[in-house]
Amino acid sequence: MIHATPAREAHSKPETRPDFGMQGREGAGTARREPIIELAHAGVTFATAKGDPLVAVEDMNLTIYREEIVSLVGPSGCGKSTVLRMLAGLQQPTSGDIWIGGGKTQRGFSEVALVFQRPTLLPWLSVMDNVLYPVKVLQRPTKAHRSRAMELLELVGLQDMADRMPHELSGGMQQRASIARSLILDPKILLMDEPFGALDALTREDLQLDLLDIHAETRKTILLVTHSINEAVLLSDRVAVMSARPGRMQDLVEIDVPKPRGAESGARPDFLALSQRIRDDIFGPRLSRKGRRA
Amino acid sequence: MSPALRKIVLPVGTFLSFLLGWQLLSEALDVPVYLLPSPLDIYEGGGKLGPAILSNTLETLKTILLGFVCACVVGIPLGVVVSVNRTISEMIYPLIVFLNAIPIIAIAPILVVIFGTDMTTRLIIVTLTCFFPIMVNTAAGMMDTPKEMLDLARVAGASRMGEILSVRLPSAIPFIFSGLRIGVTVAVVGAVVAEFVNANKGLGFLVTSSTAQFAIPTATACVVILAVISVVLYEAVNWAHRAFFGWSIKTKAGE
Repeated sequence: MIHATPAREAHSKPETRPDFGMQGREGAGTARREPIIELAHAGVTFATAKGDPLVAVEDMNLTIYREEIVSLVGPSGCGKSTVLRMLAGLQQPTSGDIWIGGGKTQRGFSEVALVFQRPTLLPWLSVMDNVLYPVKVLQRPTKAHRSRAMELLELVGLQDMADRMPHELSGGMQQRASIARSLILDPKILLMDEPFGALDALTREDLQLDLLDIHAETRKTILLVTHSINEAVLLSDRVAVMSARPGRMQDLVEIDVPKPRGAESGARPDFLALSQRIRDDIFGPRLSRKGRRA
Repeated sequence: MSPALRKIVLPVGTFLSFLLGWQLLSEALDVPVYLLPSPLDIYEGGGKLGPAILSNTLETLKTILLGFVCACVVGIPLGVVVSVNRTISEMIYPLIVFLNAIPIIAIAPILVVIFGTDMTTRLIIVTLTCFFPIMVNTAAGMMDTPKEMLDLARVAGASRMGEILSVRLPSAIPFIFSGLRIGVTVAVVGAVVAEFVNANKGLGFLVTSSTAQFAIPTATACVVILAVISVVLYEAVNWAHRAFFGWSIKTKAGE
């Protein structure tokens, strides 16, 4: 409604894709905005034992473009993870549509790869074999796969740990290994479910900056669920704010903080203003008023 | 004293003082040998058997181990099937619980009548005694697989079989070994029961035949050997767990 890029017009079902007040078309830093994920009125309703159906996600509309990082934030229970599970194919939408583009549908981690809150490395496999796990599910790993795995371990700084067992690694290293695993089959989309939520604060900051580096290198499209507004603003091109019960899109915030971003970006006035806007979205004016009084 | 040394010295010291106390008491009170043999009586009773004690021990060991292997071959796959297929689980689980509820001592003589007096019957009895803990623990382990691991396998495109082999079964290893630890000690009991009702050699047979001749020290010596076998096998399962699946112990401790 406000604007439409050629890529959007070219898409097959333009009527089903309403616009959500996207501001500033240049901010995302992607020259060609080619959609790769589309949620159109997608919803998930669970049947419960008591009989009242539980609406986890309702009328979710979101378009994600190639190579961008989008964060989903919102209060707990707003269905962020359910959206992620829909895109991962772990949860069928009970209404609406999901479309994942980027050419022909691939199998397994070549299509979408998932990073969990906990590293979820398989404790009976070495770090190398864990990174190769998504390959092994589909075929016998080749030499090329092994050298690719080694490259990825280098990318996340674990080249010396390839033969170690997961329990010999720290929590941060385990999560790095699981990021390497997610990239092994060069997925179209990387889905991350609070990937740094289980780490201590310092490791968390470290890995956030690493993720920016990894993104700069691999140009993956990333959809990230997070509880941290700061993390969302630091990492994202756009932040989708969801509201709870039923979970639905509330706001879509373009993050135009200049790149490359680093730890010092957090002190910029535009960074703080965007964080505050998202905070207001989530908590409403109520908390802001209290805050002013205190 | 170092902690490692303590772990050996304290229990061994207690055990030796217990034997010494037992010996002294039975001599002081002059307890008849057929009522309660003293440790030295038991030692002599075992010695009376001579080389026969070795061949009988080996015979029993064979029954225990073969029966235990059968129980693994039956119990682990059954645990897998029960845990992954709801229909099969609902169909056969009650039957298996019923089978396990049958007192093995009561059914043993009947099995002898049905299957005859050879090794087969003994193996059936041992297997029946010890497959249940193995099966139940396998099933529990399969169902205890962390949800994220299952999600990982599914998103990676694993088939149902692939999911079982690559994620569920390995993650059930600690549970399976709990089952094996219980199973192997129960297998000893099963082997003795089997030899009570149907054997002309083995430690279980020696216990009944010696008792019939009031050779209580000899019978007690056999019981002691059975207890030692039980402990050794238990530790062997522990050792196999540590040696081949060390990760499953370390991860438990690390978390």
